[in-house]
Amino acid sequence: MNPSEKSWARLLAAARRAPPPAADEAAPFGFATRVAALAFSAPASSPSIFGRLALRAAAVAALLALAAVAANYTAIRGAFDDTSPGQATDDPVSEVVDLGS
Amino acid sequence: MPDDEPFDLAGCLDRVRKRDQMAARELVEHLHPLVIRIVRSHLPRRVAEEDLAQDIFLKMFTRLDQYKGEVPFTHWVSRIAVTTCIDQLRAQKRRPELRWADLSETETQVLDSVITNENDVSPDDAVAAKELIHKLLDLLKPEDRLVIQYLDLEQKSIAEISELTGWNPTLVKVRAFRARRKLQRHYHELIERERT
Repeated sequence: MNPSEKSWARLLAAARRAPPPAADEAAPFGFATRVAALAFSAPASSPSIFGRLALRAAAVAALLALAAVAANYTAIRGAFDDTSPGQATDDPVSEVVDLGS
Repeated sequence: MPDDEPFDLAGCLDRVRKRDQMAARELVEHLHPLVIRIVRSHLPRRVAEEDLAQDIFLKMFTRLDQYKGEVPFTHWVSRIAVTTCIDQLRAQKRRPELRWADLSETETQVLDSVITNENDVSPDDAVAAKELIHKLLDLLKPEDRLVIQYLDLEQKSIAEISELTGWNPTLVKVRAFRARRKLQRHYHELIERERT
């Protein structure tokens, strides 16, 4: 143990002999009443009104999206299946490329 | 409530969960000694102990639904107390360094005495020695400070610190090792500054 460690150990030993700062550990008069009143002044923990409304809105939006897809299913499917050759000629670039070749 | 009757913690908690204000008061009075001991040993500068204790109790009531009984209730509360103290210590600026000029006359005498004399410091100077160590602890991070406080000043075991803080024993040992090394460095620097 070097001198610095030895002196540190002596300092620690001295500090341990210090009396505890305050003996009275009981709650001060009125403290418990005040804390209990403050604790119950806030509403019980439950989801906020905004949170509950947001959840409902998200559920309704999801249902509406599904209903919209179901109602337009034929049209959507038709759009993907429609691969008529005339579509290719709508593209002016491809027309120019075709002419050049 | 008579003092000789054992405190029915489980019953009291049930009543508090049903928002019984009287039960909440009884719970605060029952736990106050435990909480105030933690607050007093880690009290940040310029923070009133009653304010800090109140914060701890309010957190306890807010989080009561999260208590599942996996650890004793007193351990759960002491973890809230320790975490709240650490948060408060983190909020206050750490002391950048400690110089001899920052020490009181008695602290300087105590330091001189431990450096030069082989004899122990007189019991009258114990408070000054403790103050001096607290000034050195102010140089550390809150978690390091807490582990030194428990381990070297209060001489608690690793298992006890683990229960109080919720840190696993390995983490406590690692933190203690690093914190002691940092504290030794600060102490050495303080002594060297005096010599130069």
